[in-house]
Order: sequence, then C-alpha cells, then structure tokens
Amino acid sequence: MNPDQTYLSLEEPSNADHLWRYSPWKKVHPTGNIKEVPENFSQPELSLFMLDGSKAPDSFSILKESIMTKKNSYSDPVSMNFIDAVSSKNKFTLKVNNNTILKQPVILKINLGESNSSMNLTMDIGRHCQFELVTQIVGSAPWFGLIRNGEIGEGSVINDVLVGQMNTGTLMRVDAINIGRDAQVKAGSISSGSERTKADLRYMMNQNGGNLRVLGSILSANEMHIDHHVEIHHEAANTYSRLDWHSACGGNSRTIGTGMLRVADGAIGADAGQLFHNLLLSEKAEADSIPELEVSEHDVVGCGHGTANGPVDEEQLFYLEARGLNPEDAKDALIAAFLNSTLSEMGSELLHQWLANNLQDELKSLTT
Amino acid sequence: MTNQARDAVGDYKAGWHDPENSTIRFDAGLSEKVVRDISELKNEPEWMTEMRVKAFKHFDERPMPTWGNMSMLNEINFDKICYYLRSSKATENDWEDVPEDIRNTFDRLGIPDAEQKWLSGVTAQYESEAVYHSIREDLQKQGVIFLDMDSGLREHEDLVKKWFGSVVPYSDNKFSALNTAVWSGGSFIYVPKGVHVELPVQAYFRINAKNMGQFERTLIIADEGSSIHYVEGCTAPTYSTDSLHSAVVELIALPGAHIRYSTVQNWSANVYNLVTKRGIAHENSKIEWVDGNIGSKLTMKYPSVILKGEGAHAEVISVAYSGSGQHQDAGAKIHHLASNTTSKILSKSISKDGGRGSYRGLVTVSPKAQNCKLNVVCDALILDEDSRSDTYPTMEVANPTARCEHEASVSKVSDNQLFYLMSRGHSEEEALALIVNGFFEPFTRELPMEYAVELNKLMALEMEGSIG
Repeated sequence: MNPDQTYLSLEEPSNADHLWRYSPWKKVHPTGNIKEVPENFSQPELSLFMLDGSKAPDSFSILKESIMTKKNSYSDPVSMNFIDAVSSKNKFTLKVNNNTILKQPVILKINLGESNSSMNLTMDIGRHCQFELVTQIVGSAPWFGLIRNGEIGEGSVINDVLVGQMNTGTLMRVDAINIGRDAQVKAGSISSGSERTKADLRYMMNQNGGNLRVLGSILSANEMHIDHHVEIHHEAANTYSRLDWHSACGGNSRTIGTGMLRVADGAIGADAGQLFHNLLLSEKAEADSIPELEVSEHDVVGCGHGTANGPVDEEQLFYLEARGLNPEDAKDALIAAFLNSTLSEMGSELLHQWLANNLQDELKSLTT
Repeated sequence: MTNQARDAVGDYKAGWHDPENSTIRFDAGLSEKVVRDISELKNEPEWMTEMRVKAFKHFDERPMPTWGNMSMLNEINFDKICYYLRSSKATENDWEDVPEDIRNTFDRLGIPDAEQKWLSGVTAQYESEAVYHSIREDLQKQGVIFLDMDSGLREHEDLVKKWFGSVVPYSDNKFSALNTAVWSGGSFIYVPKGVHVELPVQAYFRINAKNMGQFERTLIIADEGSSIHYVEGCTAPTYSTDSLHSAVVELIALPGAHIRYSTVQNWSANVYNLVTKRGIAHENSKIEWVDGNIGSKLTMKYPSVILKGEGAHAEVISVAYSGSGQHQDAGAKIHHLASNTTSKILSKSISKDGGRGSYRGLVTVSPKAQNCKLNVVCDALILDEDSRSDTYPTMEVANPTARCEHEASVSKVSDNQLFYLMSRGHSEEEALALIVNGFFEPFTRELPMEYAVELNKLMALEMEGSIG
C-alpha cells in the first residue's frame, strides 16, 4: 500500500493518546480536513556547509533519494504516513561514510520559501563517525512536514541539533532514530519562530551500550503553541538515556512536553531519566507536561522522571538587582541562563557560540 | 515472622464465602426496569428515580474508556452481573439482630471487636444493603449524622438532594453513571459546625455472592470548622468468576473543615474495583485520601480533590501492591482552582509475580489560582523479572506564580539494604519483608494502629516466597 493509501485507511487518532492530547491531528494537518492528502508540496532548498562556510567533505553528503525502504515501526503511523505521502517527490538521504570525523559542525540549512513544503530525510550515519550536525529550518511556509528516519552507526559520537526558525506557520516534525551499539548521541531541539510546532521524536535503543542525551531549549512567545513528544525505548542491555527539557513560555503561548520512557523486559542495566522544566513568564502562558514511565525490567540501574514548573525566582532576581542590573535585564539574564543550561550541553563550545548568536533575536522577543 | 503473619492473616484470609441466603436477588443484567425496580423497592422519592434513569441512559450510551487496561476492562460482562441482592430485611442497630450467617462473616473479619475498642461508629454492608449500623450516643447528641445512604435519603432528604451528585455527577464517567443508576448502601455522614469526631468511623464492605455487583454510594459533608476520619475496608470471597465493585464517594469540606478518608482495599483477585472518589475543599479546609490497594483483579481509582476555596489543602497518600494477575491502576487528581492552595501526592507501589502497578495522575492549576504549591512523588519497586511498573503523570499549569514539582523513580530492592539486614540475623525473606514495610511506612503511619498492624502482616505474607 502507498503511504497515502495507508494514511487514509487509518482512523483519526484519539486525544486519549497523549501524543495528540493537546494538539489534535486536525489542527496540525495543513488544511484541517484530515481525509485529504494535499498534492504539490514544494521541495525545500537544501544547502550543506561547514560552520565556517566551506564545503562539506565528500564523506558527508545529501542524496536526492531515500535509500531506506523500511520505516521504523515504533513511530506514530498517522503523522509518519501523512508526511511520507506528501513528500513523495522530496525524499533525501543524509549519507555519512564510516569513520567520518569532522572538527567543526556541519550546517544543513533547509529553506522552505513561502509555500507548503515537506521532506523525508533518511539518516544513514556510518560506524565510528564523530561530528556535529545542525539542521536549521528557515522560511515563511505556512506548513512544513519533516521526517528524519534512520540509524546512528555503531560506536559513532554524534551531536545532532535541530533549530526550528520558521517565521510563521506550522512545523510538523517526526524523528524515528535507532541508536547503534555503543553509539553516543546528543539530540538537541531548539524551537522558536513557528506559530505551531508538533514534534514527535522517538529513539530506539535496541543495541547494547547505547548512550543518548535528549536536550530541548524551547522559546515560546506571542500566540505560539509548541508541542514536543519524546519517546525513548530501552530494549537492549546497558543502555543509558537522559532527557533534559527547558521551556520558557511568554505571551499567550502554550508549551507542551510529553515523554515516554519505556524500559522493556530484558533491558538489564538500563539507566534512564527525564526532566521537564517550565518557566512561566506571563499571566496567560500555559505549560503542560506528561512525563510517562513504563518499566518492565526489574534489574535496572534506575529509572526516574521529574517535572517542575515555576516563575522566575524572586531571590535570584533580587541578587542580580542588588548588583546593579535593572529588573528587566536581570529577568532577561535569568531566562537566558535557564535556556542556556540545556543549550550549552548540546555540543562543543564552537557549536554553542553559533547557536547563542543565532538565537539572540528570539530571546529578545520572549522577554519583550 | 512470616509464620506469625500467616497465623494472623491466613492465605487471603477473607477468601471464604458463606452460603448465599438472599432474601431478594434480581436476575443478572441491567435495564431501565431493573433501575426503576431498585428505586421502587427502596421507596425512593421521584427525583432520585429520575436521576437513576438518566444515569442508566448515560451509562448505556457511553462507550468504555479508551485508556487504561482496556483488555481487562473489556472482559467485564455487564449482562452477567447481579445488580441488587439483599440478604437482610433491615439495617439493624443491635449486633445480635443481624442474621446469624452475616454476623458470622463480620465476626470473622473482626468488625464488632474494632467497634468496641476504637471506633465512633460503624456500618457493615453485605452485598447491596447495609446490615448493621451504629454510632456513639454522644456524637448523636452533638448532631452528627452517620447513617447508611438509604436511611440518609429517607431521613434527611433535603441534605441528600442538595449534595448528592454535586461532586461526582452521573455524567462524569461510565462507572459513575452505573453507580448512580443502581447505587445501594454506602454511608451518609453530616458533621455539624465545629464538631470534631475524635475517633474514626468505619464502614466495612463485603461481597459474598458470585457475579455480584456492589455499588455503594458515600456522601460525607463536614460543616464549617468540623473534622472527621472515615475508614473503609473491603473484602470478597475468591470465586472463579468475576465481581464488580463500582462505588462513588463524594466529600464536601466546608470552610475550615477537615476530612480524612482512609481505605484499605483487599478485594479478592476476581473483583474489578472501578471507583470514583472526589472531594470539594472550600476555604481553608483540608481533604486527605489515604488509600491502600492490596487486592482486586483490576483497580482503577484516582481519588481527587477540587481545591475550590482559597487556602485549601489536599493530600493523597496511596500504596498499591500488585501480585500475580493483578493490575493496580491507581493515582490521584488535584485541581487548584483558588489562590494559595497547596497539595501533596505521595504514591508508592510494589509489583511482584507478574503484577502491574500504574500511577496515573492529573494536577491542574487554573489561570486565576495565584501562588499555588504542589508536590507529587511516586516511588515504585519491581521485585522480579515478570513484573511491571508505569507512571503516567499529567501536569497542566496556567498560572505563572505556581510552583509545581513531580518526581518518580522505579527501582529494585537494594542489595546493600538486604545485606545489612541479613548480617544482623534476618533471613533474606524477612529482610525483604522489612524493607517492603519500610517502603510503605509513610502510608501505614497515617492509618489507625489496628489497620497499620494488619497491613504490615498482610504485606509480610505477600512477600512470602519472594526469594529463591
């Protein structure tokens, strides 16, 4: 069955499913008519370059085809098949050869232009690679759907950061990534700009020794609605994962963080934790969290989760004001520090500097 | 230690059953006629009959929940359940007037002893109806009303009409609709302004017959500045076919009042326990749910509190033990609607022999509720490789001044703790039982002493055979 036929055969997802509880599918669908699979989505403009602007090496390339025929089965069928269907002409593969080691980050810039757009990107990351990848989404498209489906090769050490900087519109993002044996992955998400973001990020740790850190720095202001669902599945022994998610919510915005940490029977020695932190900055902002935990293996190092919501700390504000900062600057500094605590963990100093420079304007919009 | 526990508790000591000597038993299955017949039998006022019928229609139309353990839920055959069974002609106030077979049951469960020693009042419910009821004279003189729900409706219709269904409307969920349609028995309590009921009052619920549905309805109103502690216990015999317990409990704490509601649920492993418990807390009042879930096949119970008045406080302390074939899907819900309200949830669960323990919680802070504080802690122990633990907390915060925390952890029993206790002469089994009792200690210390001792013995027995 083609993806569009598969999609149309599926039932509308229930809001009893936490993935769709706060952002029903019909509000995320590009037309709102969920029985429709729109055609003629435009192809985004892709550019791949090193942080200093130089060309990426040949071992690191984008191919205009999908080399992976099988979708990861643990992804949500509705969103995965829909984006796959509207991306039939926009399939790409990020191919990284074995043993590729890069000293500076690679930027994959996705420019959407001004019309509805979509893309299905297969991640084919070889063994024993070491690099940092920033996927930057820019443009003014009303709707953009992105699938990133694939595997991180055995023993690779990867920092993978996605920065959503659409001027407006809806970003629908689906990640389904397998973490290879002894691979070490930092998966960062920075979200700002789009009016509505719905991200469904799933990581499968089905090979021994995988190490995953999922990090989020979310800035929501004005009328934004930013909904991230993160699932981490521990299926193999001695796997480690941590999720740290920091959201700052201003204006009339709403941020949602739902997570599922699943430790399967047999995942001996799993060590898993997730933390959601929400900073509420205005009377009308709202933050919702559902950090779920399902543990079917008793011989684990530990599994836990936590969530905390609160305003900017009065004592910290007082401390900064006592040292000469005016109240607004003190508040800005605390918000920046809050977001920076996950941002700074996403990669090297070089990458962090680039991210911080790129997000200056967004930080200002949050605090004004 | 474990032998002592066995002597005291036996192998699911409440698992025997008496011969069924029912005076009235309705045919299995539910229809509008059954609902009207129950109401007519009880000679109820018209408004209650109409409410029952509306609730039945809602139950009939409403689909089963699409969350939770749907495979277990869908095994319930509503057509095979008996919705009303009366074993005694009237509610007695003298223990000697209770029919002998029923009296024997409660004697074996220790109810009369407990009443003499440490209770302000007691209600015993057998199948659909309360069979025995008493309250201390001094409390009665102070105006405390403690009746079974049917008598409450007869004798205090105005109060019941005002509050019945005000906290849990029949349209709340499928099982609250079912309860409202066929409710029978339960407790009705009114504590007047400023009266403090020092000793707990107790209700004991017993299902004796096969394929029985017990649908008691409890309504507790604590008027301004009053306080009460209500304790309930539940048991049933072990049959190969399933029974259904679907209660609704409504608590109303008026300004400055304090209600504590403690439950030790030890249904046999063939009982579905699908209960709706909710309280409304007005200004500066306090509602506490102390909830122990040891038995049943499937429990779905989320005691909740609506913090409606400024300065109100809610606490939910719960423990759950899930053994073979059991799923304890328990949790808590707190809604902060007013400013300066505070709440605390502590949930502890143990899964063993393939059991599944789930915490499912919801905490909300409304936009107008300033300076709220809430704290949720969930701890789970998994004792073997076949068992499972889940945590599904939901937190919705719409006010920037709220301080909300949630933390949960799942772990196994620490080898260090076991080694420490064994090096002091305990067997591994005893050491494990001690650790488990220590794990549950924040719960047991909130119970009246007799319940706490019983629970510790029960847990020691459940831990038997855990090692090797």
